[in-house]
Amino acid sequence: MTCKQIREKMPDVAAGLAGTTSEETRHLATCASCAGELEEFRRTMALLDEWQAPEPSPYFDIRLQARLREEISRPQAGWLAWFRHPVLASAFTVLMGLGIALFVADHHGAFTTQDDSIVAADIQAQPGTAVSDLQTLEKNHDMLADFDLLDDLQVQNNVTANP
Amino acid sequence: MAGMTPAGMGIAPVVTAAGQDLSDADIMLRVKAGDSAAFDYLVQKYRRPLVSFMYRMARNSAVAEDLAQEVFLRVYRSRNTYEPSAKFTTWLYRIATNLAVNHARDTRYERPEVSVSLDEPDEETGTTFELRDGKLTAEQEMVRRERLQAIRSKVEALPERQRTAVIMHKYQQMDYKQIAEVLKLSESATKSLLFRAYETLREQLKDFI
Ligand SMILES: [Zn+2]
Repeated sequence: MTCKQIREKMPDVAAGLAGTTSEETRHLATCASCAGELEEFRRTMALLDEWQAPEPSPYFDIRLQARLREEISRPQAGWLAWFRHPVLASAFTVLMGLGIALFVADHHGAFTTQDDSIVAADIQAQPGTAVSDLQTLEKNHDMLADFDLLDDLQVQNNVTANP
Repeated sequence: MAGMTPAGMGIAPVVTAAGQDLSDADIMLRVKAGDSAAFDYLVQKYRRPLVSFMYRMARNSAVAEDLAQEVFLRVYRSRNTYEPSAKFTTWLYRIATNLAVNHARDTRYERPEVSVSLDEPDEETGTTFELRDGKLTAEQEMVRRERLQAIRSKVEALPERQRTAVIMHKYQQMDYKQIAEVLKLSESATKSLLFRAYETLREQLKDFI
């Protein structure tokens, strides 16, 4: 039994988590240095006892119950959860609007896709005139803005899929 | 979770038909199988130790309750993937330690110095002091509060792992082996970690010992 061996064990002995073997007890009886060290450990532990923790409040169980209910009622990450996301919901609304616009426009024969550019021809503007050019720019701007929204939507979906 | 046990109700021992006590890991396997009473049992058994652990880690009773509840929510969420490879309490305290350490890191710059003034009740614990009952003189009470403040701030000032180990050892009565498992350290590393921590505390609190 060395002083080092017994000292390593002192936090457990002083905290009452371990007893001393007969060999350790003999060592402590003859080694004033170790006995003094253990006594100091005991006093430190007793001082630390003064720091009391509060009991759980009477609301602990009620709050936990509420949080669990919320947890259980939360839909699994399926397609329905999609509607609960405010950003996604508004993006969805925009998409719906865009879809309706395209549908209506299609019925009026308004949009004609040529070489990836969209030509607006719903008002009787002669192709190649300043009016038709402005209309094309306007429509392209709207379309690009919608594409940005679609990009946002893609990112949001990724976030949802990999939380 | 319809049937959570009301607060204050004793913990009914969960026993098998053969009358054998089940381990917490066995009970967790019942939670995994969908037994809500088994989850209630674990909440009733561990809420007090977890609140006190979180209180000493976060030093605020409201935050401590919130974090302890979060531990139970995580236990519940992980029920389907739970494997009894480690002791249940090791797993539980690993979740708790991660949460507490992350909370401490997140709020490192927000937390004011601990202060316990004589005039005000202890905001952090809501503890009523003996002063009102006339058991302590105002001066004794002041000394007592000063001592308490020193204990808290010296434990708080320990390096993260030492602090966690001391709180588990001193206040949760966990032994070297269990603390070693929670902190993923060797047993001898845990012994020397704790020894250094207590040496520091003994030195820094010597005016009060
Ligand atoms: Zn010795």
